[in-house]
Amino acid sequence: MSGLGVQRLSRRLAGRVLLEDLNLEVAPGEVLALLGPSGCGKTTTLRLLAGLDPVSGGQILLNGREITAEPAGTRQVAMVFQSYALYPHLTVVGNLELGLEVRGMPAAQRRERIAAVIALLQLQGLEQRRPAQLSGGQRQRVALARALLRQPQLMLLDEPMSNLDAQLRDALRPELRELLRGGGHPAIYVTHDQQEALGLADRIAVLHQGRLQQVGTPHALYHDPANRFVASFLGRPAINLLAPEAGRQLALRPEHLQMVSQDGLPVRLLRREWLGAQQRLWLESSRGPLTLVCGADEPLPEPLQVRWRADRELWFEASSGERCR
Amino acid sequence: MKRPPHLLLLLAALLWSLLPLLWQLITSLRTPEALVAPTPAAWLSGWTLANYRQVLLGDPPFWRYLLNSALVGAASTGLTLALAIPAAYGLQQQTLRLQRLLTLLLLAAAMFPYVLLFLALLELARLLGWGNQLLALAVPYAGLSLPLAVLLLRAALADLPPELEDAARLEGLNLWQRLRRVLLPLLAPAIASTAILVFLFSWNEYPIALTWISKAELLTLPTAMARIGGSSVYAVPYGAYAAATVLGSLPLLALVLLFQRQIVSGLTQGAVKG
Amino acid sequence: MTTALQPLLLLLPALLLVAGVFLWPLLRYGWLSLQASSVLTGLVPVPNGGANWQRLLADGRFWQDAAQTLRFAGVSLALELLLGLALALLLHRPLPRRGLLRAAVLLPWALPTTVMALGWRWILNDPHGPLNRLIQGLGGNAYGFLSTPATTWLFTVLADVWKTTPFVALLLLAGLQAIPAELEEALVLEGAGPLQRLWRLTLPLLAPYLLLAALFRLAQALGVFDLIQVLTGGGPASSTESLGLYAYLNGMRFLDFGYSATVMLGMFVLVLLLTAAVLLLQHGWQGRRR
Repeated sequence: MSGLGVQRLSRRLAGRVLLEDLNLEVAPGEVLALLGPSGCGKTTTLRLLAGLDPVSGGQILLNGREITAEPAGTRQVAMVFQSYALYPHLTVVGNLELGLEVRGMPAAQRRERIAAVIALLQLQGLEQRRPAQLSGGQRQRVALARALLRQPQLMLLDEPMSNLDAQLRDALRPELRELLRGGGHPAIYVTHDQQEALGLADRIAVLHQGRLQQVGTPHALYHDPANRFVASFLGRPAINLLAPEAGRQLALRPEHLQMVSQDGLPVRLLRREWLGAQQRLWLESSRGPLTLVCGADEPLPEPLQVRWRADRELWFEASSGERCR
Repeated sequence: MKRPPHLLLLLAALLWSLLPLLWQLITSLRTPEALVAPTPAAWLSGWTLANYRQVLLGDPPFWRYLLNSALVGAASTGLTLALAIPAAYGLQQQTLRLQRLLTLLLLAAAMFPYVLLFLALLELARLLGWGNQLLALAVPYAGLSLPLAVLLLRAALADLPPELEDAARLEGLNLWQRLRRVLLPLLAPAIASTAILVFLFSWNEYPIALTWISKAELLTLPTAMARIGGSSVYAVPYGAYAAATVLGSLPLLALVLLFQRQIVSGLTQGAVKG
Repeated sequence: MTTALQPLLLLLPALLLVAGVFLWPLLRYGWLSLQASSVLTGLVPVPNGGANWQRLLADGRFWQDAAQTLRFAGVSLALELLLGLALALLLHRPLPRRGLLRAAVLLPWALPTTVMALGWRWILNDPHGPLNRLIQGLGGNAYGFLSTPATTWLFTVLADVWKTTPFVALLLLAGLQAIPAELEEALVLEGAGPLQRLWRLTLPLLAPYLLLAALFRLAQALGVFDLIQVLTGGGPASSTESLGLYAYLNGMRFLDFGYSATVMLGMFVLVLLLTAAVLLLQHGWQGRRR
């Protein structure tokens, strides 16, 4: 079996469960985003896969080879760190070269490989700079180059864009996506930014409190969430959770609410926010507060009521949060 | 209107620091006659280099003590760093509770008035045949310097982002390669601070050198100075040992001028972060 | 290979040497203090029960030296903290040639104690030293500074303060530099004067550094040896003898290892008690402020 296989992976530290029974499969060329709030176990998972922390249980298989207990240095796993972790005392070339050198690669071959990756990531002209003399985006590219240079069998990225400003992030996202797809290795991309996950990943795995909540395509997760956590974590503005009735709770995406003047749920307008192309309404109803998003110039009917299509309804168990099917 | 008193105070502080040393310099350049002349009138006459000649051509010549001190200093510094760098790294890997305990013990040891230790150390030296072995002094000196050295280096290590070492591990660098290629270059400033402090300590150490070394040609600078002083306590020609004082101070003056930044950061980091 | 054992192995050589240098002597003294080991026994240790400890308790010279050491340490420490603070405040400003200034201030601390002890002996020399020259020049008579207990003590303290104030000052300077400038600016905006700022802001934030300097210097001052041995030899008439010197004399001059070890342990207990006292005082002070 090629690609990455993770079975019942767990990590406990000092009596605390950081990750429990994680099962995952990532195919070569696939980008999987690990998404979740901070402390959910995303980074823990990456560090276990990289071999930086010992596992407490479970198995990691890479291209059919079990690497669960293998030291980090021989796993052929590359990682881009959130802080980039560039060696401050070395130049760009020095940073790229160190790993190849300790592996005993001949100098000529090293130069060739480095030249190729420098061209790929458009780092020409920066070869002799030190990390402190690079911009944030350049540092990120050097970190990426260092990881790609390894020709890894698995690529791990720990929030590689979180230190960049929003504009640069948007510009780099397609570029990064092409690079990861083209590598022919599975890639796992940790982020807490759902825009990034939705835009970059083939599939998304949502983690919460050390447990995997759901894995699937961005579309599936958004429209067919497995539980209330996934439903409310994805999507902005957040999904509307109506007051529970008879042990079940209805959830509705803000853009799935329509304004009508009759045959709907009567609401009262609290506040209105203009977002350019769209507007956002804060509403109050007998079933709790609601948020509605619609076109910016859509007129408000009088009296104001809201309605939704039955197939947009997402029902959850009120107590467990599991989806009612 | 606030600056003049401030500058005046600063000048006073400088005078307070340097005047005693200046007097040694002047004394060392005066003839014995000028030093004991009833009135300090003859400022223009009575200057000489004879005191330096006397000290440098003595038996053993004074430079011998400087050489001894430099040798012991270099050996102690080398030994201390060789032990302290791995130890700081090892300490950093321990559980937090153990780290805290060991740090506290090291801090206590660093403060310890080590004059208390000389008797038992002397016994050990006799047992091992280390008396009158110049370089053997490096062993107790390293032992005495290690607590501060380890604290200092560990503080510097803790300041480095942990991902740097993670990245190096992922790239297949083993422990030794990580230390040599990644951590040591980044610790260089802290290592320099530590080295200079250890060197100063062993250059200046007195009670252990006093009890371990008795042969005149093996004395380190502080013991030699004390012996010179002891042999002529109330004799008048102070010029000679003012010259010795100056010669003994010159290497330190150079060190302090060159490395004041490292000394200060070492003194403050080690103590404050530990 | 990256097992839990490896870091421990890296740590071990250093810890062993530290234990050998610090811990072994204390254990050895514990045993030696229960032995007669002097010229009388041919320096062969013979158990003598608690005789050394009984002798210590009744030894007037030990207690006199303990009192002298305490007085010396207390007065020097107070002066060093005060002057060190003043010096640190003085240096904590934008100054030209800061590096050179720091080097100049640091120099006394870096010189070997014995070297400067000899220097002081010349400065205080009767009648040819510079100080007496000055007095004579002003029409006075030369004074034997190192032959009367009071002045000898005074100049011993002075020499110690001269040498170690730079250490305290630099430590406190680091503390001052760790205080964010905005805090002081905020107080200025509230209309606080320089003294109020010092008292209300600087000193409380400097407290941990003051404590650290005090603990370091207290332990070192209680162990004072080099300075006294070379500057005064403990005289005149043992009036400046410190416990460190007394322990040294017992071991190296009177060749009584058993008793020397006992004196050292007595001194160790004293250092421990005083350090604990400082920590307790600080604790109480901090408790009251909360």
